Amino acid sequence: MSETTEVKKPKRPLPKSRVMLNALVDSIYQAAWDAEAKGEPVGWSTSIFPQELCATFDVPVLYPENNAAGVAARHDSPRFIATSEGELGYSNDICSYARLSIGMAHQMANDPNYEPPSVQRMPRPTFLLCATNSCFELLKWYECLSRELDIPIFMQDCLFNYTDAKPAKHWIAYGRSQIEHNIHRMEEFFGKKFDWDKFLELQKISVENARLFDECVLMNDRNPAPLNGFDLFNYMAPMVVARSRRETTEVLLQLKREIQEHIDNGTTTFGTSPQEYRVDWEGIACWPNLGFNLKTMKKYGVNCVTNGYVGAWSLHYTPGNLDEMAEQYMLSSTNVVNTTTMMGKRADVANHFQCNGMFCHINRSCKFMTYQMTCGREIVEEKCGIPVVFFDGDQADPTIFNEAQFETRLQSLVDVMKANKEAEQ
Amino acid sequence: MADVKNLLAQFDDISKNPQRLLKEYLNAGDKVIACFPVYTPQPLVLAAGMVPMGIWGGQCNPQIAGKYAPIFTCSLLRSCLEFGMTGAYRGVSAAIMPIICDTFRGMNSAWRAGVKDIRPITFIYPQNRKDPGARDFLIEEIKTVRSALEEISGKEITNEALQNAIALCNKRNAVMRAFCEAANDHLDLIRPADRHHVMKAATFLRPEKTIEMVSALTEALAAEPVCDWKGKKVILTGITCEPDEVLGYFADNNVAVVGDDLAQESRQYRSDYPAANSAIESLALHWFAIYGCSTAHDDNNTARGQMLVKLAKDSGADCVVLCMMRFCEIEEYDQPSVIDTVTRAGLMSFSIDIDQSTTESGQALTKIQAFAEN
Repeated sequence: MSETTEVKKPKRPLPKSRVMLNALVDSIYQAAWDAEAKGEPVGWSTSIFPQELCATFDVPVLYPENNAAGVAARHDSPRFIATSEGELGYSNDICSYARLSIGMAHQMANDPNYEPPSVQRMPRPTFLLCATNSCFELLKWYECLSRELDIPIFMQDCLFNYTDAKPAKHWIAYGRSQIEHNIHRMEEFFGKKFDWDKFLELQKISVENARLFDECVLMNDRNPAPLNGFDLFNYMAPMVVARSRRETTEVLLQLKREIQEHIDNGTTTFGTSPQEYRVDWEGIACWPNLGFNLKTMKKYGVNCVTNGYVGAWSLHYTPGNLDEMAEQYMLSSTNVVNTTTMMGKRADVANHFQCNGMFCHINRSCKFMTYQMTCGREIVEEKCGIPVVFFDGDQADPTIFNEAQFETRLQSLVDVMKANKEAEQ
Repeated sequence: MADVKNLLAQFDDISKNPQRLLKEYLNAGDKVIACFPVYTPQPLVLAAGMVPMGIWGGQCNPQIAGKYAPIFTCSLLRSCLEFGMTGAYRGVSAAIMPIICDTFRGMNSAWRAGVKDIRPITFIYPQNRKDPGARDFLIEEIKTVRSALEEISGKEITNEALQNAIALCNKRNAVMRAFCEAANDHLDLIRPADRHHVMKAATFLRPEKTIEMVSALTEALAAEPVCDWKGKKVILTGITCEPDEVLGYFADNNVAVVGDDLAQESRQYRSDYPAANSAIESLALHWFAIYGCSTAHDDNNTARGQMLVKLAKDSGADCVVLCMMRFCEIEEYDQPSVIDTVTRAGLMSFSIDIDQSTTESGQALTKIQAFAEN
C-alpha cells in the first residue's frame, strides 16, 4: 500500500473588486439582521423589483434568488428543496429557487432547530416585494411565501411584451400607477413619509451603476477576453442586491480598472488555457455545478465571453422620470420580452463579441427562458451563422445536471466550431 | 329518459368532434376565432359576427411541437401547438391568446414560429388587480383585441352589439350553472363523463345553441325522478379532467362528480360579466370579479381552498380531487395550500395527473379506487 498525500493548490487571492463586492454583500445582510433585532421591517424581494423604493425608505431588503444561487453554489440546496417536496408537498416541476426558498422559509418559521446556511443567512422577512418581469412563476412563488410567513406582497406587475414594439402608453401608465401606489402603501406600512429628493439621488446612482456595469460587460469583447465569462455571474450580484448604492459604483469602478489592466497587459482571468473558442452562454448558471462547468470549458479552450442573463439589471432611465422607470422595469429581464426581440438582440451581441457558438442552458427551472432558446435558435443561426447547442441542467437542483452530457454537448459544439474555423482558413 | 339519453349522446358526439363542427361553421360561411384558455373575451367575437371556439388541445403524443415547446411544458399547450402545426385548426381566422402564465409567454413565440397561418391575438390580464391603474390598463388591452377582431371581420363592433353579446354569454352562464345544479339531483343519469361532455361541448358550440341544448337537457332531467345517490361525491379542481377513461374510473367506483372548479368547465361560467358604464368596461370588470383561480392573483392567499370547501359543503361532496395538468406550474404552486385548506376543513383530498400526451392513467385509477374503498 502506498501512501499518497493530497496537495491542495493554493487558492489565488481574490481581486480587490471581489473583496469589495463581498464586503458590500455582507453589509447588506448585516443591515437586515440589525433591522430584525430592532423589530423593524425586513423585506424579501424578487431580483428586478424597483429597488429604489425601499432604498429611499432605508428599509433593508434581501433577495431569495441571489440567496438561492449562493446556497446552491455551496451545495446546500438539497435540504431545503427536500422540505418543499417532502413535508410541504410541492411538485419537483416548479422552480428550484422557489422550492429552496419556500423550504427555507418553512424551516425558519416552524423549526426551532432551524440550521441556516453557513453564509448569506437571511432573517425572517416582514414583507415581500414581487415584480413579474423575470417570470410569472415568481408571483406564484411569492404567494406561497406570503402564505407560509403570513406577510403582505407589494407587487410590480411587469407586462410581457408580446410585440416587437416599445410598450404602449397604457402599459407604461399601469407600470407608473403601480410604482406610485406601492410608494403610498409603503408609507402606510413603514409609517414613514417617502423622501422624493432622496429617491431622485438613488435613481441617479442606479442609472450610473447600470451604465458602469454595461461598460464592464462590453470590455469583454476584446480578444483574448480579459474576463472568464463566469466572472460576470459574480459581478452581477451588486446589481441584484445593491443597484442604488454608492458602494456598488466603487466596486464597478474597481472592476473596470482591473479589466483595463488585463487588456493592457494581455492577461485574462480565464487562466493560462488558450481561448480557442468564444461562446455566448445563454441562461442562468448551473450554480451547483459552476466549478465543473468552468473546468470543463477551460479543458476545451472555450470561454463564454458574454451571456444575456447578466444584462437583466441594466436599467437605463432618466432620473425623475417615473414613466421611463416603469418602462425599463417592463423591459429589463430577458423573460419579459418576446423571442424575436430577445434572441435578435442576443444574435447581435454574439456577432459583436465575435462568438463562434452559442451554448444554451436548458434550465429545468426556467421554462420561459427555455422557450426563448428553442424558439429563437433559428434566429441566431440565421443572423450569426454559428452553431447553437443545448445542454440540460438546473440553477439550484443538483439532481438534474449530468456531467457526462454537459461534456458531450460541449464537445459537439467544439467540433462544429473547429470545423467552421478550419473552413474559414 | 329517452330525451336525456338522446341529448347526452349529442353532447358526447360534439365534445369529441370539434373539427367537424369547425368545418360546418366554415362551410356556412362563418369566420371562426379560436379561444385559448382562459377567460377569453368571447362576447367580442360574437359582436363581430364571428364564432368563438375554445381550444383545449387533446390526447396526442406530439411529434413536431417539440421543435418549439420544451418537453417539460404544459401538456395542454403542447398538444394545441401540435394541432396547430399539423393543420388541425386550419380555417380558423385567428387565435385569441391571453398571457396568463409562463407557458403562454412561450406559446406566444412558439405559435408565431410554428403556426404561421393562424394569427395570434395576444393580450394580457393584469395581475396587480387592486392597483388603481389595472382597470384602465385592461380596458385599453381589450380594445386592442377589439381592433384586431374588427380588422378580421371587416365589421365594427358597436357598444350595442357588444352589450347584446354580453347578455347572451351571461344567459349561457346561467344555463350552465342551472344544468350543474340539476345534474346533482340525477347522478344516476349524469355520470362524470356525461357531465364533462356537456361542459366541453359548450366550449365549441355557439352560445345560442348551448342555451337551447343545455336548457332542453335540464328540462328533461326535471321530468325524471330525483336520485338519492348512495355513492361518494367529489369536486374536481384544476385545468381539465380528461380523457373519458379517467372519468370512467370515478363512475366505475360509484363516485359522482357534484361540482367542479375546472378551467375547461365551471370556471368559465361561475362569474358573469358585470353591469358597467360601457360594454368594454364590463368585459374588463369581469377579470376583477374572478376569485379562487390559479391564474388570477388574490391577496387572500387561501381564497381558492376556501372556495372549494364551500363548494364541497354546499353540494355534499366528501372530497376535492386536484386534477393536475402535467407541467402546469401555476396549478402546482397552489396544490399544497389547496390540499391543506380542504383537509383542515374535514374533507378528503387527493391529486391525479392529467397528461394529454399519454393514454396511461393507471395511477389515477389506483387513487380513485383507494378513495372509493376508504
